[in-house]
Amino acid sequence: MKDEKTNSELDFRDLTQSDKDLVAKLVKGGFSRREVLKLSMATGVSLVAAEHLLFDGKAAIAATPKKGGSVRMASNLHGPDDQLDPTLFTSTIDYTRGRATYNSLIQHANDLTPQPELAESFEPNANATEWTFKIRNGVTFHDGKKLTADDVVYTMKRHQGEQSTSVIKSLLETVKEWKKTGPMEVKAVLSSPNADLPTLLGMFQTKIVQDGTTGGGIGTGPYVMDSFQPGVKSVHSRNENYWREGANLDAIEITAITDPVARVNALISGDMQLVTQLEPNAFRQVESASNVELLSTPAALQLGICVLRNTAPGNNDDFVLGMKYIQDRERIVKRILKGKGSLGNDTPVSPAHGKDFCSELPQRPYDPDKAKFHFKKSGVSSAELYVAPVAGGIEDICLTAQANCAKIGFDLKLKKVPTDGYWGAVWMKEPLNVVTWNMRPTANIQMGIQFAPGAAWNDTFWDNARLGELLSLSLAETDPAKRHTMFCEMQTLIHEGSGMVIPAFSNINDGIADNVMGMPTVPLGQLGACEWPEFIWLA
Amino acid sequence: MMTRMVMQRIGIGFGTLIVVSIIVFIATSILPGDVAQIVLGQSATPETLAALRAQLGLDQPGYVRYFSWLGNMMTGDLGISKAGGATISSLIGGRLGNTLMMAGWVAVISIPISIALGLWAAMHPGTWLDRIVTFGTLSLISVPEFFIATVAVLILAVELHWLPSTAYMTGQESFWELMKALAMPLITLVIVVSAQMIRMTRAGILNVMSSPYIEMAILKGVPRGRIIMRHAFYNAIGPIVNVIALNLAYLVSGVVIVETIFAYPGLAKLMIDGVQTRDLPLVQACAMIFCGTYVVLILLADIGSILSNPRLRNPK
Repeated sequence: MKDEKTNSELDFRDLTQSDKDLVAKLVKGGFSRREVLKLSMATGVSLVAAEHLLFDGKAAIAATPKKGGSVRMASNLHGPDDQLDPTLFTSTIDYTRGRATYNSLIQHANDLTPQPELAESFEPNANATEWTFKIRNGVTFHDGKKLTADDVVYTMKRHQGEQSTSVIKSLLETVKEWKKTGPMEVKAVLSSPNADLPTLLGMFQTKIVQDGTTGGGIGTGPYVMDSFQPGVKSVHSRNENYWREGANLDAIEITAITDPVARVNALISGDMQLVTQLEPNAFRQVESASNVELLSTPAALQLGICVLRNTAPGNNDDFVLGMKYIQDRERIVKRILKGKGSLGNDTPVSPAHGKDFCSELPQRPYDPDKAKFHFKKSGVSSAELYVAPVAGGIEDICLTAQANCAKIGFDLKLKKVPTDGYWGAVWMKEPLNVVTWNMRPTANIQMGIQFAPGAAWNDTFWDNARLGELLSLSLAETDPAKRHTMFCEMQTLIHEGSGMVIPAFSNINDGIADNVMGMPTVPLGQLGACEWPEFIWLA
Repeated sequence: MMTRMVMQRIGIGFGTLIVVSIIVFIATSILPGDVAQIVLGQSATPETLAALRAQLGLDQPGYVRYFSWLGNMMTGDLGISKAGGATISSLIGGRLGNTLMMAGWVAVISIPISIALGLWAAMHPGTWLDRIVTFGTLSLISVPEFFIATVAVLILAVELHWLPSTAYMTGQESFWELMKALAMPLITLVIVVSAQMIRMTRAGILNVMSSPYIEMAILKGVPRGRIIMRHAFYNAIGPIVNVIALNLAYLVSGVVIVETIFAYPGLAKLMIDGVQTRDLPLVQACAMIFCGTYVVLILLADIGSILSNPRLRNPK
């Protein structure tokens, strides 16, 4: 009975990419008892479960790679500044073209664990101050040139130094030097330990380009770029020499439709098979249409209210707690986000961050009595909150808070301001303002960017030395249990002390045609963090 | 006399363009941040800024920059976009082609229809056919184009699946495939511009119809159709040509909403993208193209009405 339970819980599609590759290899070779044993040892599951996996994998693989067909994808924004240089990627359409054309060293699995891509393996030294990457053999660029360590070192050095214009330069600042240590081996020497480096190397901007180029649409990726018109569209066809399974479609076309209503119409009328960024008012239309489906991926897209801790009224602990307890989180997720979101617990880390999320931390409830108590104790009876429509639903969240405050006799005034100029004139300046942050690939970066003492974007001006200490200690910690304890302590500190009120996280909401199979659900961006070109196929 | 008038109009048109170019140049110059700052962005240092400014000639005084910009534009050099250093001519080239193609097709379809319907309504004023035309055009003028576009998409694309909802062109389609791809924006724009032209044609002719010489013709017993075709129409051409010219200019420069809704890669959309990315050279170039189109079309309309007016054509 116990084994059966394990079996039903462990499905092929839940495996990480490297285990999937292993299962696929075994299935293709016609597996024997010995191979089952091998899989069992490699993945650490029981023999019976391993056998089940192979059967399940066989079924999944028999159903999976159907080659052929083509899709069109419409993003929400494009323009004359569309890019082919990965270091300058800033929008979903750039990321998608990057994914189709290039590869990174590392790929994010759906749960954000780093998977091998162009790096066959990646190993830290004992204290995570050096990482060694073995580059995959037999990979060629679209122009026929072979991938070597030189290309990797060249690409990585583009994120470093005075002249670098890379948008993720600061994230990779801890890397002191990229060294070629063999024809197919590269070493990163860090100035301080960083156990998360592989995760960073899976980001959109780290795609590997050929030595001496800025990308230019020639990579090692699953699709060859046939044409590229910035602000119009790009056309890609299958790379017949791709170094692994994947690239199931004959061709893909990538464009954008900026009008949200037109985007949904294009999906439902069948002109587009994949569209990004559905607005809450389109959910019902997409869900009720017979030929398309809503792809809603839980992510850490925080909808927050910043209460500045260095000025009144946010310098009063009770006022901040009052603001936190007055948030009707359940209602916000259910009514404002129409269920396509998750509860926030006043920390920027969500379950989408995987193992670093502290599930032990109790969820803060909506408690008007406690809010009333804290507001009263603080001696503050009214406050002004600056609201701009920086994210879908944020205005409604503030209106809900205002109504709930009125019920307990607290006067929360809302000052509506436009988005244009908001980040320069209001955010980090007015005592209470709204904020939204994109999800970062690791909990460490997510907390560091907003809460590290003295961080440039410490947008609640909350200074906590212990948090700063834990941020760097946890990067050096390679023991999972100890690491988790540290992450829990950090989230607890933020949950209790910071001025950040995060009542909810929004999901990533996209629409896809219902014959599109194999969609990844990596929560770092639209359409499975733009990982779809390699994986999807048409039923 | 007539030649002088036409030359005068051309002179005024040219003067307008020069004034417009000064306004466009000044307006884009007083926006915060010059091109060098925009190109370098976050990574700007004082040294690289100075170097790039010198390279782009931004260290020159304003009037020198204006004349070199104007000179370059006259010779077809529109400058360099901040996006990856592509020349603006290459960015605009295809877009302008798309815009002109759309405007051309709309004109070919809508002008004959509008004039025919307008004449027809003027020939039968007060009948129920005239009322239908009047009521229909009035309603369509009052409805914003995005509403017409959205309703057309809902009915023809989402419900009936007859036409694609976006004007998505692959570049390899046959003529009929191209027409199918463009059908939705064409329908929308034809409806929008025709309504105005029909009303103007009808009003122009009815206006002439109340003049004494038409009354004379009526008293002589000339049939109404003949009066309109022989006498009234030529005298009403002036205002009709003007409204056609204005609508054509609108089709080149003002269809950004239709371009956005149907994701059609035209010039107006490119200018909006340029504004959003603060790509000032691109914005300047688009603004000049739009202003130039307006000036040229209105000039043509003026010349057309001069030529169609016997009093101006044969001065005594």
